[in-house]
Amino acid sequence: MGIRRLTMAGVRAGKAGIGAILASLSAWFVGAGMAFAEEVAGLPTDKAIHLQKSVSELKDDAIFFHDWILLPIITAIVVLVLGLLIWIVLRYNKRTNPTPARFSHNTTIEILWTVVPVLILVYIAFFSFSLMRKYENMPDPDVVVKATGYQWYWAYDFPELGVEGIESRLLPEARELESARAANVPFLLGVDNELIVPVNSVVQVQVTAYDVIHAFALPAFGVKIDAVPGRLNNLWFKARETGIFYGQCSELCGIDHAYMPIAIRVVTQKEFDDYIIAAGGKTRAQIAQEAAAAKLAEQQAAAEAAAAADTAEAAGASAVATDAATAASDAPAAATDGGSASAAAAAQ
Amino acid sequence: MATNASVAHDHHDDHDNHTPPFFKRWFYSTNHKDIGLLYIFFSIFAAIIGGGLSGLIRWELYEPGLQLFVEGSMLDSLGIFQGKHGYNAVVTAHALIMVFFVVMPATVGGFGNYFVPLMIGAPDMAFPRLNNISFWLLVAGFVLLVISLFVPGGVGASDKGFGGGWTVYPPLSNAQYHPGPSLDLAIFALHVAGASSILGAINFITTIFNMRAPGMTLHRMPLFAWALLVTAFLLLISLPVLAGAITMLLTDRNFGTSFFIPAGGGDPVMYQHLFWFFGHPEVYIMILPGFGIVSHIVSTFSKKPVFGYLAMAYAMVAIGVVGFVVWAHHMYTVGMGFNLRAYFVMATMIIAVPTGVKIFSWIATMWGGSIDFKVPMLWAIGFIFLFTVGGVTGVVLANNAIDTSLHDTYYVVAHFHYVLSLGAVFSIFAAFFYWFEKMFGVKFNELLGQIQFWIMFIGVNVIFFPQHFLGLQGMPRRYIDYPEGFAYWNKVSTIGYLITIVGVGVFFILLIEAAIRRRKAEANPWGEGATTLEWTLSSPPPYHQFSQLPVIKDDGHH
Amino acid sequence: MAQHGVNHDYHIINPSPWPLLASIATVVLFLGAVIWMKGLFGQEGPLVFILGLAGVLAVMYFWWSDVIRESKAGDHTPVVQLGLRYGSIMFIASEVMFFVAWFWIFFEGALFWEHRAGAASAIEEVRLAWSAWPPAGIETVSAWQLPLVNTLLLLLSGTTVTWAHHAILKNDRSGAKLALAITLVLAVSFTAVQAYEYHHIFHHHYFFNEAAANSGLYASAFLLATGFHGFHVIVGTIFLAVCLIRLFNGDFTPQKHFGFESAAWYWHFVDVVWLFLFAFIYVVFV
Ligand code: HEA
Ligand code: HEA
Ligand code: CUA
Ligand SMILES: [Cu+2]
Repeated sequence: MGIRRLTMAGVRAGKAGIGAILASLSAWFVGAGMAFAEEVAGLPTDKAIHLQKSVSELKDDAIFFHDWILLPIITAIVVLVLGLLIWIVLRYNKRTNPTPARFSHNTTIEILWTVVPVLILVYIAFFSFSLMRKYENMPDPDVVVKATGYQWYWAYDFPELGVEGIESRLLPEARELESARAANVPFLLGVDNELIVPVNSVVQVQVTAYDVIHAFALPAFGVKIDAVPGRLNNLWFKARETGIFYGQCSELCGIDHAYMPIAIRVVTQKEFDDYIIAAGGKTRAQIAQEAAAAKLAEQQAAAEAAAAADTAEAAGASAVATDAATAASDAPAAATDGGSASAAAAAQ
Repeated sequence: MATNASVAHDHHDDHDNHTPPFFKRWFYSTNHKDIGLLYIFFSIFAAIIGGGLSGLIRWELYEPGLQLFVEGSMLDSLGIFQGKHGYNAVVTAHALIMVFFVVMPATVGGFGNYFVPLMIGAPDMAFPRLNNISFWLLVAGFVLLVISLFVPGGVGASDKGFGGGWTVYPPLSNAQYHPGPSLDLAIFALHVAGASSILGAINFITTIFNMRAPGMTLHRMPLFAWALLVTAFLLLISLPVLAGAITMLLTDRNFGTSFFIPAGGGDPVMYQHLFWFFGHPEVYIMILPGFGIVSHIVSTFSKKPVFGYLAMAYAMVAIGVVGFVVWAHHMYTVGMGFNLRAYFVMATMIIAVPTGVKIFSWIATMWGGSIDFKVPMLWAIGFIFLFTVGGVTGVVLANNAIDTSLHDTYYVVAHFHYVLSLGAVFSIFAAFFYWFEKMFGVKFNELLGQIQFWIMFIGVNVIFFPQHFLGLQGMPRRYIDYPEGFAYWNKVSTIGYLITIVGVGVFFILLIEAAIRRRKAEANPWGEGATTLEWTLSSPPPYHQFSQLPVIKDDGHH
Repeated sequence: MAQHGVNHDYHIINPSPWPLLASIATVVLFLGAVIWMKGLFGQEGPLVFILGLAGVLAVMYFWWSDVIRESKAGDHTPVVQLGLRYGSIMFIASEVMFFVAWFWIFFEGALFWEHRAGAASAIEEVRLAWSAWPPAGIETVSAWQLPLVNTLLLLLSGTTVTWAHHAILKNDRSGAKLALAITLVLAVSFTAVQAYEYHHIFHHHYFFNEAAANSGLYASAFLLATGFHGFHVIVGTIFLAVCLIRLFNGDFTPQKHFGFESAAWYWHFVDVVWLFLFAFIYVVFV
């Protein structure tokens, strides 16, 4: 881990310099498509040649992994192969080299071109696995969302917050290029109900599907997972900026596969809480409060009961009575348990 | 034996060198060279269809908005591939045709059939009649697949053809979402094409094990024969699993089983395991023969023996073996456990090592050579470079951590077209021109060949290089339409397609020119560098070659 | 057989109509299958399928008759016979891989049935799943009744084909006929027992009952794995029957009887697949 941090820090420092050059380059590449710039951060950019802009740490690391580990290595390999080929074309054509050599073995070089790729791959694997682990190790989530893919729209629930059945469909005007432009909504991306989540919070998305396989993908957060009927998959992200971020269904799901975008609006915690309450749910804080209140009430009740028991010391009858009652209510449960167990045994 | 055979002579007339009459020769053929040619013509024919379908894809994707798969368009008025379902049906058919009816017939059925027996010094394949049924079953599969495009497939009444991608994932391929008979026909088409390939594989393995000329030990065998041997094993082991998987799909669709239906306790992800257990070896089936071809061409035109022959042969074996244990790299996003994914990352990346051995050994073969840049050599060098590009993006995708961003985007499309449309297809053209005179007995026009190469080289790169950018920006694949942020590179890609078909046009002009001029071919047009046995024979070779088996003495033959 | 100026013993075959006819019949067969299952081009019913099947079977008959004729004409020299051996082994290898698919899906069900519900660890998952398999509502077939009988039938038939093989080697033709006939009786009994068992399963709703509505995977894997095995048994039985007919026709010598040998190999393959089915589907995962 330590080494990785160091390398990353080093590379990031180097990045500043190269970054300036890249920035001016991409200024040239990044052209149109900025109509929604005031609100939007996550949208494909026309003419761009790199990964979509990141608004989460996972995506930062993914970009680092791609741009500073993988891309340089594969570019170097391709350039090496191309360079050797060009050298061969220039140096070993039949005019410059009329008599061919006859060698067909060279153990040293063969070992070299076996071992060096292995080392390169080990180097890649080192970063690869640590990033995989980062994706895997989700911190305690602040918000849990359940996303269900349908042909062809998404439905979102906040099971813990009591908000369910938010259906998110492509806006009718976003289906056609002209109408989308006229209405100033992003073509093929604008939806009626965005998924709203708070900024700087760990959001866990549990993904499943109702009919066929879909996939929940959000480039700005660097996440993607299949929505498989009968399975519950997980991903998480932590957005550090507010705005709207667009993704698209990423598993072929029928004729409208291209028409079921994912739009996530990242808002402040306050806005999120307001949204949840307006939607008829309860915020985490409220739930925590209520839970605390309930617990307190329970404790108080227990204390009172204890006090009452103290006062009614003489008989102690009430306590015995409660015990008996509990035992009685347990009994039928045990009976059903036993019943189903023996039924199962019979079935076997 | 040879002496007392004259008794049976009349009965066995065709054993002599006069060829049978036209119909018998081409329809009842039991001659590996004729069957090879049949495969090659079939492949070219299917490539016109598969390439045409990719034209429809690129046309539709030229700019945002629906162009082609929409009411009132040209396709709509023709009544084929109507509506958005039509797009999916076209993508599916494009892939199935290119994979099963273009690349495999050309490399395995065509060049494999024609040249493996010649190279190992055998008079024919081990089972000539079986060889012929391999070919005709392929035609049968193609007929079934083409019929499937014109019968109801999807939910809507006008949804003809199957629109679920070449991977045919359930539940989208279950009866509920594709109720029509189209997919049933397509499944049978795959069964039949698969049977064709399995029989072909049995034939190759037997031929190579049993019919090598005296002195032709395995370690003296030309690399193309090695490539076909490994390929045949991959076919033999992987295809029956696909057959099982699509049979399960068929019974799910028609006979009430629930292998892949969640409501019945089935698991759609299990289909993906079975499919990719076949699917990944399949991609090496498409490329290994190309590896073999390129080795020969590089050595021939450099006038040098292949560098590191044994390493080259065993690299292919290694690729074949490891290729069987990496399949789930296509499924990183289905929700597998961490350890499983970590294993598949490592296993997948390892394949880069033997592949690297091949790339560098080709370079070392050319190193110090006296190279003649004839048409086949251009395609071979193009192959080495472009395959490297496609290979290294494969290594990128092998990393689960970044595949999370790139899976099911155009980055993957770019990757696999670099290894297929710019890898496998380049090796096919390389082989086609390398053996052109040998097979057809006439010469092709070198200049036209060079022009075709350069136009196609530029064209396919313009198609597919920008698709990396689209993928990095997150453009999902199998999309009929896309947000405006993907407009620019899609337009470039479609322009690349236009360039490419100009190149394909030059290819057909070349064929016609050669057919009209009929310049007599030489036995060995490539000179001292061409050392394998096929160059010792006339062009085209006698109807039955090697009636006197050649004897291989030294190992100067690779 | 070797010819003028030919110094090799490979078998150069004359042009043959069977491959082309076979694939035409195949197209008809599968179009017919789809017509039967779904209806196509306004057609329905099994007629086209039956026509295609008849075509395929006819071609097989003529094709293999040709092979037998060529063999008798002496075309199957030792090297050609060796090739046939390779071919048969490779064919059986591909058949093995076909069964791998069916076992794979069965094991996936048996080992990971509850996997999708999530559990503490991988080992825990497997343990849970295993204890939950076969899924609710399924009544399994007891291994120690008819399946055991079938196992014994097949094992016995394995020994009787070997007996037949030895008899052929010793040129004891009547012994060979007897042994092969017994093998056939055993083979047919196997199929009969299996048919009875299927009948029993369906009749008593072992799998197809309301409680098992969500447990279709078990029934699917069980029936298709044993069903495809059953199909292979029938094919092997026909193969052996053809050998018996050939024995009566005076074919097979102690030196040359590869047709019989490959039938025997195939039979052993079918036998071994059954042992795996018996072990895992009937005994272990119940
Ligand atoms: C001919 C076909 C072919 C070939 C040869 C390959 C070769 C490889 N492929 Fe590719 N692949 C496909 C065809 C092919 N692929 C297809 C069709 C799909 C998509 C299917 C679908 O979903 O429809 C696909 C998809 C695909 C995926 C899934 C992507 C996704 O869906 O998210 C992955 C992931 O690992 C992958 C990886 C690889 C790797 C690592 C190789 C390696 O074999 C490449 C090895 C080669 C090199 C690396 C270059 C040469 C080496 C050197 C010069 C040495 C030095 C190099 C290093 C040290 C890195 N491929
Ligand atoms: C071998 C395989 C192969 C080949 C050659 C090609 C060639 C091409 N492909 Fe294709 N393609 C696939 C395999 C292939 N493709 C697969 C597997 C998919 C995935 C499908 C899915 O998602 O389910 C796909 C998907 C795919 C897409 C993505 C569609 C989508 O996701 O929505 C696109 C889009 O641009 C595309 C375009 C093209 C183009 C422009 C070519 C051009 O290069 C075509 C131009 C070339 C020719 C016209 C001639 C080729 C010549 C020969 C092949 C040899 C001739 C024979 C002899 C000389 C003997 N293809
Ligand atoms: Cu939903 Cu694609
Ligand atoms: Cu793969």
